[in-house]
Parts: sequence; C-alpha cells; structure tokens
Amino acid sequence: MSVHEWKFGVVLEYWRNFARGLLGTFELAAIIVLAALVGGVLVGAARYSKLRLLNWPATAFIELFRNTPVFVQIVWFYFAFPVIIGKQMHGFYAALLGIGLNMIAYSAEIFRGGIQSIERGQWEAAKSIGMGYAAMMRRIILPQAIRRMVPAFANRLIEAVKATSLASTIAVSELLFEGEQLANSIYRPLEIYTVVAMLYFLAIYPLALLSYWLERRLAIDERVKL
Amino acid sequence: MKYEWDFGFVLKFQDVLWQGFLGTLKIGVLALAFGSLVGLFLALMRMSRRRALSLPATGLIEFLRMTPLMIQLFWIYFALPILIGLKLDAFAAAVIALSVQSGAFFAEVFRGGVQSIDRSQWEGGKALGMTMPQLMRRIILPQAIRRMIPPFMERSFELMKGTTQAATIAYGELLYQSMVLSSRLYRPVEILTCVALLYLVMLTMASLAIRYVEHRLEAARS
Repeated sequence: MSVHEWKFGVVLEYWRNFARGLLGTFELAAIIVLAALVGGVLVGAARYSKLRLLNWPATAFIELFRNTPVFVQIVWFYFAFPVIIGKQMHGFYAALLGIGLNMIAYSAEIFRGGIQSIERGQWEAAKSIGMGYAAMMRRIILPQAIRRMVPAFANRLIEAVKATSLASTIAVSELLFEGEQLANSIYRPLEIYTVVAMLYFLAIYPLALLSYWLERRLAIDERVKL
Repeated sequence: MKYEWDFGFVLKFQDVLWQGFLGTLKIGVLALAFGSLVGLFLALMRMSRRRALSLPATGLIEFLRMTPLMIQLFWIYFALPILIGLKLDAFAAAVIALSVQSGAFFAEVFRGGVQSIDRSQWEGGKALGMTMPQLMRRIILPQAIRRMIPPFMERSFELMKGTTQAATIAYGELLYQSMVLSSRLYRPVEILTCVALLYLVMLTMASLAIRYVEHRLEAARS
C-alpha cells in the first residue's frame, strides 16, 4: 500500500479557482431562492385555491417536480428542452430551470401547508369579530403560519444549495466544476476534492445552524403562547 | 419550429433502459440495506454518553448531511483510492457514497424516534425495575419505531432519487443508460422524457405508499 503525501500547498496556490467556483455556487443559489420565494407563493396560492382551473395545474406541477429526481430535471432541460424550443441554451439556464422549478414546487407545498395548518378556530374568531379576508390574513393567519413555514423553508434551502453541485455536470462554473477542472489539470484529486467538500460544508453549515436556531426559537414561542 | 415526437425509438431500444432500471434498483436496494446499518451504528454512537464516541459521530453525521452527495461520490471515487491504494469501480463507489450519506440521515431518524419518547415512559419502566435492554425492547422501541417509519420512508425516497447521481461516474443506472442511448440515437427529447415519466411513475407509487402507511399509523394511534 502506498502512503500518500498530502500536499495542500499546491492546491492553495489555486485559491482563485475555488473562489470563482464558490461565487458561481452562490449566484445559482441566490437566484433559486428568489425564484422559490416568488414562484412558491404563486404556485402555493394556486394550489390552495378552490378554483379547479388554478388548483389542478398547480397540483400537477408540484407532484411532477417532487416525484422526479432533480438531476433528471436538469438533464432534461439541458438536452431535451432546447430541441423542443429549437434554441440553444447555456447550462447555467438549464440548471436554473431544473433546480429552480424543483425548489418552487417544494416551497409551494411548504407555504400552503403552513396556512392550512392554522386551526379553524383562528379563522372563525377573526371572521366573527368582523375582519375582512385581507385583514384576517395579515393580522391573524400569516403571522402564525410564517413561523411554521420558516424552518421547513430553511431546510429546503439547504437542499437547493446542495443540488447546485449537479450543475457541474452540464459545464456550469460552480464549486464542484472548478474543482473537477483543477483536478484534471494538476492531478491532485485527493487534496482538491477534500478542499471542495470542506468549502461546501462551510457554505452550508451556517444555514443548518440558522435552521436549528429558528426551530428552537419558534418552538419556544409556540409553547409560551399555549 | 415544430418538433416531431417519435417514441418508436424508445420502444425499439427499451432493453437498454431496462438494464439501467435494474442498475438503479441494484444500487438503491443495496444502499438502503447498508445505509440502515450505517445509520443504526452512527445513531448508537451519537446517543452514547461517552464523548469519545458521540462527538465524532455528531461531526460525521453533520458533515455528511450538509455536503452534496455528488462531492461525496467524487471523493470516494477519485480521492479515496489514492488514500487506501485500492481502486474502486463505479458500482462500489456509488453504493458506498449512497449508503454513507443515507446512513447519516437514517441515524438522525433513529435518534429522533428514540428521543421523542416521553420521559415518563423511561421513568415508568425504570420504576418497575426493568433493566435497560428490557426497557428498550418492551417500552421504548415499540413506540419509537412507529414514529421512525414515516421519516425513514421519506429518506429512502430521497435515496432513490439520489441514485441518479451515480450517472456522473458512469455507472449504468437508468439516467446514465438513457443519456448513452440519446447521444447514440440523437433523440434526447423522447428518451429523456420517457425516463422522466418512468421515474415519475415509480416515485409517485412510492409516495402514495408512504402516505398510506402514514395514514395507517395515525389511525392506529387514535
């Protein structure tokens, strides 16, 4: 058995490549989160609606994207979608479409679930003191529902950041892609992939700590209220 | 431009896809079995009172849960062989990566289940003079396992989705086979759409099964 000599020094010389990769990862993640917030609210509202014309397509969309692997979605948007629309598409946009739509589907369910989890008594009480729908939502339902949505959304956000690594397979410059390129040119896969894994952990773990903290805080608030 | 769909190709070469489907099942089932073992092991370590056991387990679980599966897969396939001086094939690397990552998630499912049991249950058991193994077997586990089942199934569902990532190291599972086929036939639209539908059918059935079990468990409780 050969004993490998770790040489992180060589790898750290290429810190620019890792920085460029991290930037790409953050860029993808930031756009996806924005899309998930806006799109999730819209699709969630449609799913929540009693109008079948809104409800059915939203349900189909959510089930379609939750019940297929996100990697298949990315590959489909990269290789199949351009043929259908008859236009070339850069991997960056295919990755955004795949991961973004997936994230929108999950967020929509989180937002809808949050609102539906509010007990009937709250709705009835608000109505009985004469609140209109908008006032009831703003003052009674949403403040409670949002607390329940936030931890679940934070968890989903972690999954989205992890999924951005899949964009490396379609030549999008993000952390794993830059690592791969570097590994192929300086032949130090052990050090490079170790550094890449650490960087992912450092980028994602703060989100995890935030979600643990939110979960604990919101749980305490709920108990106090009871 | 109007695209002409032609699904005839897919039917003609369906055996390539079936082969991939078998590949998916193979790594999925193996990773589920090994992952459960890894999970059990990590959960016991993490719940241990000895810090020398619980701290490394906690660190490992957090690290595995908070990094992408794909970097773990790459690390095991490209980096680990240099360390251990032994080449791994794509199949072994995929099974190891999927088992280890799901193991970390399963560990949290197991730990969460045991720790969710009310204190009074532990105290009641102890007051009756039960030993720890008796208490576990008769009181805690029967209740905890019921609570573990839905999140365990949920995680297995994610594991099945994760098997697609084995395609990146050229393991012949369903997605990889379909990519090979579509580049050979130049029909990515039909082939990839068919594969997406196959996953949709498979995973929708799985999620219906999960919902059914959840309902049954809830009904049994009330």
